[in-house]
Amino acid sequence: MSSSAIHYPPEHRRNFIGRLLAADTISGVKRQRMLLGYLFIAPTVIGLFVFVIGPMIGSFGLSFYKWNVFRPPEFVGLANFQRLAGDARVFLSFKTTFILVAMTVIMLEGLALALALSVYRLANRALSTFFRTAYFLPVLLSGAAVAITLGYLFNKDFGVINYYLGLLGIPKIPWLTSSDTVLFTISLTTVWRNLGFTFIIYLGGLSTMPGEILEAAEVDGAQGWQKLLRITLPLLSPTILFAAVTDIIKMLQFFDEPFIMTRGGPGDASRTVVMMMYESGFGNLDFGYGSAIALVLFAVIMIVTGIQFYLSRRWVFYG
Amino acid sequence: MTQKLSRRDMLKLAAASAAAVGAGLVPTIRIFAAPPGQDTVTLRFQENEEQYAKVVEAFKQQFPNVNIEFVNVTGVDHAEVASKILAQLAAGQPVNIGYAATEATQLYAGEGLALALDQRVMDNKDELAEYFADVSPVLVETDLYEGSLYQLPRDFNAANMYFNTALLKEAGLEVPGEEWTKDDFVEYAKAMTGIGEGKDSFGYGWTNRLWGSWTPWFFVNDTNFLSEEKAPGGEWLWENFYAGDPNAEGRGGGYRWPAPQANNPKMVETLEFVLSLTKDGYAPEATIGGGDLLQGFFTSGKLGMTPAGGFWSGGLINAGMNVGDFDVQFWPKWVSQRHQLGVGAAWILNGAENEDQAWEFVKFSSKKEVMEMIGFFGELTGTTPVRRSMNDEKRYSKSGPANWHVFYDTVDKRPDTGPIPAPVFSIEETNIYTRYTSSATSGEMSAQAALDAMQKDLEDLYARNA
Repeated sequence: MSSSAIHYPPEHRRNFIGRLLAADTISGVKRQRMLLGYLFIAPTVIGLFVFVIGPMIGSFGLSFYKWNVFRPPEFVGLANFQRLAGDARVFLSFKTTFILVAMTVIMLEGLALALALSVYRLANRALSTFFRTAYFLPVLLSGAAVAITLGYLFNKDFGVINYYLGLLGIPKIPWLTSSDTVLFTISLTTVWRNLGFTFIIYLGGLSTMPGEILEAAEVDGAQGWQKLLRITLPLLSPTILFAAVTDIIKMLQFFDEPFIMTRGGPGDASRTVVMMMYESGFGNLDFGYGSAIALVLFAVIMIVTGIQFYLSRRWVFYG
Repeated sequence: MTQKLSRRDMLKLAAASAAAVGAGLVPTIRIFAAPPGQDTVTLRFQENEEQYAKVVEAFKQQFPNVNIEFVNVTGVDHAEVASKILAQLAAGQPVNIGYAATEATQLYAGEGLALALDQRVMDNKDELAEYFADVSPVLVETDLYEGSLYQLPRDFNAANMYFNTALLKEAGLEVPGEEWTKDDFVEYAKAMTGIGEGKDSFGYGWTNRLWGSWTPWFFVNDTNFLSEEKAPGGEWLWENFYAGDPNAEGRGGGYRWPAPQANNPKMVETLEFVLSLTKDGYAPEATIGGGDLLQGFFTSGKLGMTPAGGFWSGGLINAGMNVGDFDVQFWPKWVSQRHQLGVGAAWILNGAENEDQAWEFVKFSSKKEVMEMIGFFGELTGTTPVRRSMNDEKRYSKSGPANWHVFYDTVDKRPDTGPIPAPVFSIEETNIYTRYTSSATSGEMSAQAALDAMQKDLEDLYARNA
């Protein structure tokens, strides 16, 4: 019997709880410990249900209704999904989102890895701390503030960027007002703000790499690119997988930058799926349709993440 | 007897909780009110506390049992503010007294959210006579919907033309007369382009939204992207408060926009004209959003002219300009000189327990001495007061412009001035309007193609809301 177990006098065991938690049996002690465990995880589980699973179920339910806040919800069955299947703008928003994700994640992972490798090799500790801080600072900024500020900088006619390009003889670039350039501009803004986080993940991965393997490779004559491609990157592959999966999930939910910088324009050129969802729900007061878009996006994120994990078997090295 | 609390039981319990939470996510509209029997009531008021602190203080002296709780909502335009208010409503947190500009007036009225004020206005006829005598019927008609009045107008802004006087002077020009035309405007835009400190100014600039966008241009070209007509009714208001006022003649029960007509030849002509200003280099490429960017460039001498209302006079001073640095004139004449405007006012939540107290607050706030207490009607004008008597020399002495009288003359001397098109589904309508405008301004679509596509989407919108 555990010394910390609760002892119930026999008269209390008449009630159900008393009998269940009786500490004079092994199963009673186990139940007490189990209950304590459930109590500890209860705040997390309750939070999860209230803020994640509950809204997901609510959103799933809403997708079968037509609801505009003012009037009672009207059950419409699969009508929202049928409408979605024929909505060219939603398909375009998925295409736009995928292009943005591909551009952003490739730039983000490549740059973050290159910077992490450079800073990792710095012998000067003060310089290393300076760069870590400098690269991480934009992560602390509000997405809205970054988007507004960079929106001004990228303005075609009044922006500072075109001003300096003009001094070099380069004509004005419509950074945010042409469908040829708008996705690249938004991607660049997103990379600038998020680079620090991915950089820190890679730096953490590099710091935990077993030094003896790297030293052994050097003794065997591995140098430069050979060492990077055959030793460092395979050892870092679990970190790369983690960073890529989390970044892709995050980027599939692109909203702040295109919403603030372009409102999805010109036309629909930078309208992402989450913007479509927001506009359908909160702009057009069609919460059922907005929920249907949200559900499809959720399924897409699940599938993309599943594919990533499936493919990772071929290239991720867990040592 | 013992019973095991298994993981399965735990999961069952969790699933039941989640279902309960999920079910609760489709809330019924809950009216925020004090419990019955309690003397003090609280009204949730959609407004900035700083602007209304003195008003609430004065109101509390007369109605000590009414508390005002401020709900401050901001957005890039009034349509976005309305979206946020409706999101709060969806979350079961409605306001008792909201604030709606024209963009949302019919949305709230048409969906039954706002309370019709007809009976209350008539019950307080003597008290309100002075208010209506001081407010142009042009403004009041904007807040009528299907014959009923839903708001007592508080402020308005018509799109007038602002001039940067330094650029005007450098171009050798003066503020034009009231009767200036579209052709005069083009000459002004041309003359004020490529001058200024950096020789990089634009003669004219605008932003892509519903109010003050290229909307003023199709108003003066005597057209609109939605057809316009007057609803029947409203006689009770006109006969009781505006008898004998020539500007009240022919008014009805509020505006209706029964059908889209975005690709009519006059609309195409107007958009082509606006696009030509950018093509000729007189205007920068219009971007979507609020007027902050334009204000910055106007203030720094990069813009010669831009559409704005009385709200800009205080804003420009706050942004660093001085009295005399800017002036204003009517919008130039094309086929007509009909201006577009937006009117803002408080509305009362329909069905709330404290409607009477909310009405008392709205009525109290419409008194002249109370309106003078509102922050943005202070030393620097943040928006144009609807009361004629409040638009005087003293009001604009600290900010200008010299032609301050233009703000109210727009409704008194140009009584055909009307609201921006904003039917019940104005939020989605605005999205369609700005989306295809951006396709045209970016050069991705011709004016005709953009307006054809706009027309199709508007037709779908009307069909969905039929």
